[in-house]
Amino acid sequence: MLARPGLPDFEYIRAETPQDVFRLLGEKGDKIKLLMGGTDLFIQMRDRSEGAEILLDVKYLPGMQEINFNKKKGLTVGAAVTLNQLSIHPDVKTHYGILSQSADTVGNYQLRNRATLGGNLCNASPSADLAPAALVYEGTVCLTGPDGNRELGVDEFMIGPGKTALKAGEFLTGLHFSIPPPDAVGQYLKLGRSKKGDLAIVGVAVLGYSDSEVPSGFRFRIGLNSTAPTPYRVPQAEELLAQNQITEEILNQAADEAMKVSAPIEDVRATALYQKKMVRNLTFKSLKEVWDLLKKS
Amino acid sequence: MKISESGLIGKSVPRTDVIDKVTGCAVFVDDIQFGPSLLHSRLVRSPYPHALIKRISTKKAEELPGVRAVVTGKDLTARLGLYLIDRPIFASDRVRYYGEPVAGVVANTEDIAVEAAKLVKIDYEVLPAIYDPVESTQPDAPLLHPDLGSYTVANFIFPEPGTNISEHFKIRKGDVESSWSNCAALAEGRFSLPPIEHVPLETHTSIALSEKSGQMTLWASSQSPFAMRDMIAQCLGIPHNKLRVIAPLVGGGFGGKAGVTMEACAVVMAQAVEGRPVKLRLTREEEFVGTSVRQSLVSEIKVGCDKDGNLLAMELTYYFGGGAYNDYGVNIARAAGYSCTGPYDVPNVKADSLCVYTNHPVGSAMRGFGMPEIHWGLEQIMDQLAENIGMDPAEFRLKNCVRTDDEIVTGMKMTPIDLEACIDKVSKAIDWEKKEQPTAPNKKRGKGIAIMWKAPAMPPNPGSAAVVRFNEDATVNVEVGGQELGQGSFTIAAQIAAETLGVPYNSVTVSSPLDTKYSPYEWQTVASRLTWSMGNAVKAAAEDARTQILETVADHWGEEVDDLTIKDGLVISFKSEREQPLDKMVIYGLPNEDFEGWKGGPVIGRGHFMPTYVTNLDPETGQGTRAVVHYTVGAQAVDLEVDLETGQLEVLNIASAYDVGRAINPDLIMTQIEGGAVHGMSSAFEALKFNESGEVLNPSFVDYRIANIADIPRKIHGDYVETPIGDGPWGARGVGEHVMVQTAPAIANALYDAVGIRFSDLPLSADKIYLALERKNETG
Repeated sequence: MLARPGLPDFEYIRAETPQDVFRLLGEKGDKIKLLMGGTDLFIQMRDRSEGAEILLDVKYLPGMQEINFNKKKGLTVGAAVTLNQLSIHPDVKTHYGILSQSADTVGNYQLRNRATLGGNLCNASPSADLAPAALVYEGTVCLTGPDGNRELGVDEFMIGPGKTALKAGEFLTGLHFSIPPPDAVGQYLKLGRSKKGDLAIVGVAVLGYSDSEVPSGFRFRIGLNSTAPTPYRVPQAEELLAQNQITEEILNQAADEAMKVSAPIEDVRATALYQKKMVRNLTFKSLKEVWDLLKKS
Repeated sequence: MKISESGLIGKSVPRTDVIDKVTGCAVFVDDIQFGPSLLHSRLVRSPYPHALIKRISTKKAEELPGVRAVVTGKDLTARLGLYLIDRPIFASDRVRYYGEPVAGVVANTEDIAVEAAKLVKIDYEVLPAIYDPVESTQPDAPLLHPDLGSYTVANFIFPEPGTNISEHFKIRKGDVESSWSNCAALAEGRFSLPPIEHVPLETHTSIALSEKSGQMTLWASSQSPFAMRDMIAQCLGIPHNKLRVIAPLVGGGFGGKAGVTMEACAVVMAQAVEGRPVKLRLTREEEFVGTSVRQSLVSEIKVGCDKDGNLLAMELTYYFGGGAYNDYGVNIARAAGYSCTGPYDVPNVKADSLCVYTNHPVGSAMRGFGMPEIHWGLEQIMDQLAENIGMDPAEFRLKNCVRTDDEIVTGMKMTPIDLEACIDKVSKAIDWEKKEQPTAPNKKRGKGIAIMWKAPAMPPNPGSAAVVRFNEDATVNVEVGGQELGQGSFTIAAQIAAETLGVPYNSVTVSSPLDTKYSPYEWQTVASRLTWSMGNAVKAAAEDARTQILETVADHWGEEVDDLTIKDGLVISFKSEREQPLDKMVIYGLPNEDFEGWKGGPVIGRGHFMPTYVTNLDPETGQGTRAVVHYTVGAQAVDLEVDLETGQLEVLNIASAYDVGRAINPDLIMTQIEGGAVHGMSSAFEALKFNESGEVLNPSFVDYRIANIADIPRKIHGDYVETPIGDGPWGARGVGEHVMVQTAPAIANALYDAVGIRFSDLPLSADKIYLALERKNETG
């Protein structure tokens, strides 16, 4: 009923090549957990909800800790890039500000020295702080496995609480983000019980940019976490904002759409009712602030 | 601020422990090394809040390789307790809370102990559980302690056998019933707060070693090594001289390491594996589930005043949810009873303060000892009454607050204090009259004030003892039995000794760890009593040593003691202007003329203090000559704002002022004030949450959110007033607990000022505030 005093014994193996990983996963996959920052894994192991005899460290594989930015191709982030690296990287800050901002809201500074972008997504917590940003930048996850590499949209990757689309033998090597529209602005708003370091009761990322193709002249992407089994976009609200002239009333309607779509559960952090109301209020607030920024530019 | 003659009293000298703590050299229990002989242990805890134990089978656990012993409560009939002896070390016939220890497993490693604990098979018959203290007083409530009538109890505690009421304290003063008709305004309310955890940085840890000679040694993270020795020795029939408790520095206690919590379990397990030390170290989750908590409280309050705002009458009922065992909690209800009015002058009072068994974790001492609980309701109801009679809340408090020599609720004459000065100070600091603008359009801002009182809550005669020992070079070791919990008690002891002896502060060392084999007696490090009580003992011991030195020198010089003094480590004569350094003479004495023999010898001063003037109270009326030794009073004012879109509350400024009698070390008072304000905030915003099975739902820092550095207000203003008391060193009294007593109601009052909603139930979550704001908007 209560957590054990310390970690259970485990064997630590550092993978040098992806082939090491495929081979070991093939041989004793059921006994292995892949290790990156370990900030979620160690807690799960201590609680014994996650048994593992072998921790296979994949963060030293080639490219896993690299951030590459190219003005045409966009941003590639290795899965084991830490949240602190992400939050201070100049290109990430300039072109993918919401990623950098979201990274900064996780836990505390010491934890962010270990916690990784890939881990945040692979853990597939409904409250994953990096997920809303990854969703609104329409990132793709890069997976590798014995049968080769494949890519998936971030929205296809997390499929349920603690569940991802990873197949047996596969692992996440990184994320790719194409260049956002030139005038895109956005932000991540996170509501916790204390000012810093809490898990999100609700987190909302909004990215806005101009688009002359749609009636309103603007597009907004809305990504939310903590209020459904997986982080999610709100296409109904996004469509509303594309099709109608942007007014405070329309922003409100979009926020109401987000509230309707949200499906929070009652938990120790907050009542379901409060979570729903916060989806509405934070989505509205964020849309309004992003809209004000867009109008200025 | 007054500074004493040699400048040490009233001076913010650095803490004695600062370098050790900052550099990580300070030794805590878990740091002590025992080598390969050390065995490890785990407790098997109840998965039910209330059940009968039908059968315990330890066979499989005992058979696991590496297991040394499995112990249960089968052969332990005696119970533990401080005021009411009601608590088994291991439950044997019945469990009364989720997480109660039922068995203990000793093994070669902690991992084996974890595995073995799972193999202990216990059959339970589940019983209905009760959590609400009011419901628990009803006749149809499940009875938790059918044997209550047979428990040993202190003569000032009044249990009601056949019910769940473990203490019923009464005040009957004046005539409340006929006063209501004379009141121009009334206020009534019902307030509640759930249990909260102490959340020390260091979880409870002990190591016990039983030796063939009958010697038992217990290393424990303890606020109270002597009380711990006394309670365990009595329970297990160990002679006090054969039970040695060693208590190194404590990494946070807040009352949670007073008395005995899990340490007796370690002792019993050690008895089963003679000759091998056994370590029991609680995890953070166990700290939340399996140690003591601050009790829950439901309070019902009615109060009235005349047309000028003078308080006329109060009627109060306090239902303390004491949890499964009330061995300590009964005295919290009693303390709440004799201080039931809060710091107010009320002529007519009817009060019933009950401690009630429930199937929650054991309620026990926590910073404030009943006062934060009762002030939560009291300080809000006073605001309501002020509003009802049309007075400013600060003005109303200035009019009605207790003053020196007032006859207070127990009939006792109020000891010297100046609460008005505290109210004035915080009002000024917070700019009380000024309505501040919110920092953003979606926010509302408000200010609130709250005042408090608290007396040391303890038996009438808890004692303190101290020894002052000189070394050859005239440095000094001060030995005390009071603990350093971070509050600075060793620093205060060193300051008092140095000042009294006339030696430099840095020549004094306070001996640690505390060790009942060597340290002089101290009842407990609780009740904000060390500066006052232990301070008196240290002062007496230092005076004793000083007298010995002066008599030797006076004799040596052929002068009178009255003409001599000690300054900066030199004995000087006002008369002859001769000087005698202390070094060497404090051990070797001084030679007679021509070395015809010697005078003096090693100087050891002894001192003690025990209050001798506290009287019992009439059990039917709660009246008596002197209920307590003294009161410390204070005021806090809060400036905050609320985000209307989220319900989040931000405390912008907390101003505090307390009457400390005499500030021995102002910096230490300021650190208490700052820490208390933050602790008070945590107590307002977070609490233990339970499901219907009595299980704690938030036993970790993930979901038990105490205020962290980002939540701390930009401004914490601290101040103090000095109205000396007669029986404290230089007039000083304690302030360690008081600093968080009224923070939660001050916040609630400010919240009311901001948004016009009264919150009568803690905790104040953003969730609760937001939904209340919405309801208010909907109903207009």
